[in-house]
Amino acid sequence: MTIGLTHYLVVAAVLFAAGLFTMMTKRNAIGILIGVELVLNSANVNLVAFDRYLGPGRLDGQITALFVIVLAAAEAALAVGICINVYKNLSTVDVDTATRLQG
Amino acid sequence: MIWNDWLVALAPEWILLVGACLSLAVGVTRVSKWASPIALATVVAALIVAIRLDVPRNGDVLPGLWLTSLTFYVRWITLGLGSLIVLVNWHQPAANERGEYMSMILFSLLGVLLTASANDLVVLFLAIELVSIPTYVLVALSREDARASEAAVKYFFLGALSAAILAYGISFLYGAAGTTTIHRLVGDTVQSTLRTNGAIGVPMLIGLILVFAGLSFKVAAVPFHAYAADVYEGAASPVTGMLGFVPKLAGFVALCKILTALDWNLPSEVNWMLWIVAAATMTVGNVLALLQKNVKRMLAYSSIAHTGYMLIAVLVGPVAGQGPMRDGVAALLFYIVVYGAMNLGAFALLACFKTNGRDVETLDDLGGLARRAPASALALAICIFSLMGFPPTAGFLGKLYIFSSAFSLQPNHPMHGPLIALAIIGVANTVIGAAYYLRIVAAVYMGGETDTATPVGGRPVRWGLALCSLPLLVLFAWPTGLTTQVRTATTILHHSIRTGSRRVAAAIDSVRTAPTDVAPATVSQAAATYEHHANP
Repeated sequence: MTIGLTHYLVVAAVLFAAGLFTMMTKRNAIGILIGVELVLNSANVNLVAFDRYLGPGRLDGQITALFVIVLAAAEAALAVGICINVYKNLSTVDVDTATRLQG
Repeated sequence: MIWNDWLVALAPEWILLVGACLSLAVGVTRVSKWASPIALATVVAALIVAIRLDVPRNGDVLPGLWLTSLTFYVRWITLGLGSLIVLVNWHQPAANERGEYMSMILFSLLGVLLTASANDLVVLFLAIELVSIPTYVLVALSREDARASEAAVKYFFLGALSAAILAYGISFLYGAAGTTTIHRLVGDTVQSTLRTNGAIGVPMLIGLILVFAGLSFKVAAVPFHAYAADVYEGAASPVTGMLGFVPKLAGFVALCKILTALDWNLPSEVNWMLWIVAAATMTVGNVLALLQKNVKRMLAYSSIAHTGYMLIAVLVGPVAGQGPMRDGVAALLFYIVVYGAMNLGAFALLACFKTNGRDVETLDDLGGLARRAPASALALAICIFSLMGFPPTAGFLGKLYIFSSAFSLQPNHPMHGPLIALAIIGVANTVIGAAYYLRIVAAVYMGGETDTATPVGGRPVRWGLALCSLPLLVLFAWPTGLTTQVRTATTILHHSIRTGSRRVAAAIDSVRTAPTDVAPATVSQAAATYEHHANP
C-alpha cells in the first residue's frame, strides 16, 4: 500500500478531532491549551501534505505552516500569561472554578 | 515594486507600528502617562496620512497585499473610530500599565488595516490574529477585578480555538485552490483564484464551512456567540466598546474577501447555512437581551443581534446593483461604521460614571442619570435610539439600507425569496430589540434617583462620547458623504463579479436547478459557455 494524500488528511482530521475533544473534556487551562495546539497542528499537517501532493515547485503550504507555528508559539506565551493572571486571582487554573460570570 | 513605494503605500500601517512600539517603550519609563497622547497622536497622524495618501488604487498587486478601494475605506473608518476608541480608553488603565494597554489598541487597529489589504490567505490569517491577540491582553489588563481575568480566559481559549479552526479551513482552501493568493491580476481583469473552474468541490466546501465557523467567532455569530456576554461583562466598559467594533470589522472584511474570491456565487448549501446563522443570530441576540438586567450583558446580546443584521447584507452581496440601497456590501460597510460609533458611545457613557466605587453596570445604577448629567444622558439616548434603528439617527438609515438591499435582488436570484423572508425576520427583530433599548432610556430619564453615581474619567472620555453621538445625527441629515464612499469602496467587487467566471458559474447553477425536460438544450449551452471560459 502506498501512502497518499488521503492518509495524511485522515491523520490531520484525527488530530483535529482529538484537539477538539481535549478542549471539551479538560478542566485545567494548560490542558485546554494543549488541545488548541493539536488543532493548529492538524492544519499544519494538512498544509504540508497538500504542498507535497499538489505538484512540484510549491512552497505556499510550507511557508503557511511555518507562520502557523509562529502563531501557535505566540498564543502559548499569551496563554501562560493569562493563566498566571488567573492563578493570582483564584489560586487555581481549573476553569470550572471560574464561575463569576453567569447570567 | 521597489521598497520605496511599499513604504509610501503602507504609510498608515508603518505609522501605527512605530506608534505602538513607541507607546510600549514609554510604558516602561516614568513618563508612562504620556502613552495615551502618543496613541492618539499616532492614530490621528495615520488617519491624516491615509486620507491624503495619493497612490493608485486597484492598480497593482503587491505580493500578499493589494490596495483596493475597499482597503482605503476600511483604513479611514478604522482610524477614525480608532481615535475615538483611544479617547474613551484614555484614563482606563492603571498609570503604570498605560503603555502596554495603548500599544495593544494600536496593534489591534494595525491588524484591521492589514486585513483590509491582505491578498493572501496567510496574510489574512495573520492579520486577523493580529486583531484578536491584543484584545485578549486588553480584556485581562482592563481592570483589577477577578471577573476581568476570568473573562480573559474564556475569550482567549475560545479565540484560540477559532483561530485553529480558521487555520484548518484555510489549509483546505489551499488544497482545493492550489495557491494561497486570493486574487490575481490577469491583464486588466481581476481573477479570483479560489474558483478557477466554476464548480466547487468537496475540499473547498469543507474549507469554506470551517473558515466561516472560525470567522463567526470574530463577529460573534450563532453558534459561536456564547462568549460575548461573559467577556463584555467581565472587561471594563471602554474595552468592551472596542471589542464590539474592531474584531467584528476585521471578521466581516475577511468574509467579504473570501466571498469575493468566489465571485459572490455560493453553493446553495453554504447559502442556506449563512441564512440559518443570520436568522438565529438576530433572534437569539434580541431574545436573550430582553432577559438581562446588566446593561453590559444587554449590549453584548445586542451586538450579537447586530451581527445578524449585518449577515443579511453579506448574504445579499453586491450583485443587485451599486449604492447602499441595492448593494449589500455597501450597506454592510455603511452599517458597520454607524454600529461602531453607537456601540462605542453607549459603552463610553458607562465609563463616565462610577457608583459606590464600582463601575456602572445595571439599569438601577443608571436610574435618574438625566437629572444629574443631562448632556451625557442625551448622548446615551442618541446612541440607544440609533441602536434601535429609530429616526432621526444614522442607525435608522443603516437598517433601511440593509433591508432594502435584500428586497432589491432580482427575482431570478437563487436566494430571492429566502432573503426577503430574512429581511422580514430582521424587521420583526428590530421591534423586539426596541423593547430592551427603551428600558435603558426609561431608566436614565424616568428611573429613581441614584445619589451615588459620581463622574470619573475626565474630559477625554466625554469628548469620545460626544464625538460618537453627534455624528449619528449629522449622518442622518447628510448621509451622502458616507454613501459616496461606500459606493466607491465596492466598485472593485462590481468589477470582479463582472468577469467571466461568474457567468459560467451562473450557467452551471441554472442547469443544476432546471427541470429535466428543458435541461438538454441548457446543458449543452452551459457546457459550451463553460468550455469557452475555461479554455478561451
